[in-house]
Amino acid sequence: MSNYYNMPALPTEKSPKVPITVDDREVMVPGDTNLLEALQTVGIETPHICYHPYLPVSGNCRQCMVEVDNPRGMGLAIACYTPVRPGMKVATPVTSPRVKNARKAVSEFMLVNHPLDCPICDKAGECSLQENYITSGQNESRLSGAAGKQYHGTPENEFKDTKGQVRGGKRLNIGPRVILDEERCVQCDRCVRFMRHVAHDEQLQLVSRGDHTTIATFPGEKLDHPYDLCVTDVCPVGALTGKHFRFEQRVWMLSRTPSISMDDSLGANIWIDHNNGFVWRLMPRCNPEVNRSWLSNDSRLAYLQFRENRLLNTDKGISESASAVSKMLSSSAGKIAAVLGGSCTLEDAFAVKELQNAFPNRVEVFVGSLDTAGTPDGIAKSGDPVANRKGFALLGFEISAEELCKRAGEFETLVTVHADLWGANASLAAALSAIPNRIALSAFENATTQASTVRLGVNHWSEVSGTMVNCNGFLQKLNAAPVSPSENLMPAFRVLGILSGKPVSSASEAFLKLREQVPVFAEFTHESVRSAGVKLNGVSV
Amino acid sequence: MVRQIKQKPMNWIERLYIFEAFRGLFTTMKHYLRGFFRYETLPTVPYPEMKPEILPTYRAKHRLMLRPDGTPRCVACFMCAAACPANCIYIEADSSLDGRIEKKPSRFEIDHLVCVFCGLCVEACPVDAIRMDTCDTSYVHRTREDFIANLETLTQWNPNDYSQNDVLSQAAPGGIKNQQALESWKLRVY
Repeated sequence: MSNYYNMPALPTEKSPKVPITVDDREVMVPGDTNLLEALQTVGIETPHICYHPYLPVSGNCRQCMVEVDNPRGMGLAIACYTPVRPGMKVATPVTSPRVKNARKAVSEFMLVNHPLDCPICDKAGECSLQENYITSGQNESRLSGAAGKQYHGTPENEFKDTKGQVRGGKRLNIGPRVILDEERCVQCDRCVRFMRHVAHDEQLQLVSRGDHTTIATFPGEKLDHPYDLCVTDVCPVGALTGKHFRFEQRVWMLSRTPSISMDDSLGANIWIDHNNGFVWRLMPRCNPEVNRSWLSNDSRLAYLQFRENRLLNTDKGISESASAVSKMLSSSAGKIAAVLGGSCTLEDAFAVKELQNAFPNRVEVFVGSLDTAGTPDGIAKSGDPVANRKGFALLGFEISAEELCKRAGEFETLVTVHADLWGANASLAAALSAIPNRIALSAFENATTQASTVRLGVNHWSEVSGTMVNCNGFLQKLNAAPVSPSENLMPAFRVLGILSGKPVSSASEAFLKLREQVPVFAEFTHESVRSAGVKLNGVSV
Repeated sequence: MVRQIKQKPMNWIERLYIFEAFRGLFTTMKHYLRGFFRYETLPTVPYPEMKPEILPTYRAKHRLMLRPDGTPRCVACFMCAAACPANCIYIEADSSLDGRIEKKPSRFEIDHLVCVFCGLCVEACPVDAIRMDTCDTSYVHRTREDFIANLETLTQWNPNDYSQNDVLSQAAPGGIKNQQALESWKLRVY
């Protein structure tokens, strides 16, 4: 089966271009990759089930058949495991009925015992099997109704359904977060390869042979790994589904907003899938330079807390409360300590800088929220909970919040922005209670808002546009999903703008002001930062 | 093309008006008296006392079909909600208690104030769980909320009101084929 050595070589910008003939048409494709990826660069999609760009090539599904010239003439070959050779001739279904037939036959074979579950399957709508069937499958079934679908998996999971058909392997609880449906499985072994080669913890295996093959864990073991929900992404069908999203929504009803996960300094790229003003799931968004196709369970399940314990400004309008605080700040002359929490965007940090300019020599800025940093796991997490630490450093904010706890006596006012100091380390933060005015800008009601004298509710990072710089120096853009629980909430940078008397109306406007002051960002605007992010030049990693 | 219709000019008796007025009154009296003595020949229906005859093919109020054990046939696939042009169907899904069935609706609501009675939900249903053959066309409620039919009201129908040839209706609890259907169903889930 698969091993490390057949990890697919993906085309890059530096790939040499070689000429090949596709359907009697000469095209230039990257020369150091496989045929499937090469055809993709010229806009030819090849249906595939088992191939995944970030998993070793297994080549077991045979769905990506193309015809390739060989010494005996044109012959069928799988595109995912055929390297590009300069001058090769390739035939796709457009010109070759043989390829069309082969793909159709493969699709038909895969569906022989695949249950007709699509109406109730959580994967329906984003299922490779469905898509391939539409593009290259057979339009009418050749299976006799009397034979029906058969289940050949584990005998103890077998049952007769209400029509008397043999079915089996439904809703098997293989782990705390994942549910297995043996019947829907097409044995592509993507999940096995993910656990083996990416998670480096071989918890899933293919057991038995032939059409009795099923996915299973070791006896008595459960699928339990910090990245185990990624197997539900790589699963091309609805065999492995996450319990958090099971039966919640149908996928075609969701709208997607590309954003960045702000709970880790790698800044994993995500899709926020929302509908009717609620976030229903977070999905990894492929970025080859950052998180590839992976997302940790922590980041993925973070959305479950997005709506809980929200700090809503119930008494009066947020702008009025903020102006009142602004008057309070300008009437006194004591020092102000501002603490930037982990999920602050660059715009929030810049708004704090504006606060510093508005009250000269009075504002000192601290970074972090007393959380302890972990270690990078090499997949999609750097371990540092302060997501935008690099961005803060570019704006000149580097003193940690621990320092503030030691020097609490110097300050008269404390402004925390998305920083839960008391919640992270109550014993250290206790010293901060000596500061007479404590203003908390927070999305949630937490220990810090409890300990504060003024509470201003602001938007969560899933509801704001903005930018962040991840630990590898990539400038990445967050987009606001329309899921704000109340109209009386603002992004933190707008509230801070009112505090400093320099109100801004949007994140792109704030970024334009920011780039005037910080030369690293001079060449960018909000609109020019694409979804894949930009590597900043001259930023040490 | 403009087509001009020339009216016949009135003669002098018509222009006198008084005779024409009595002729009109005579027509009114004719219908009035017909209501007293030859009631059945009237073309209208005296609505609350007498209901018009409605065919089962008419798209009337919805109902949810039932399995032999009394649970709704609906598998909460959202196909009806996806097909609905008025967006009036709201569904929440849950795991089914019957191990052989994957999904069930925990909430199924149709807002009859929004519904346009197009019947696309019936067409879309893959398991024949929703039908519009109740022949019930009256919607009289006190509040707007009462117009929202839920899982409970949608499943409250009597198999005896439906044709004996309607296998699916008669297999529901209370129907003449329920016992037979339950035997092949085997498992009872409450």
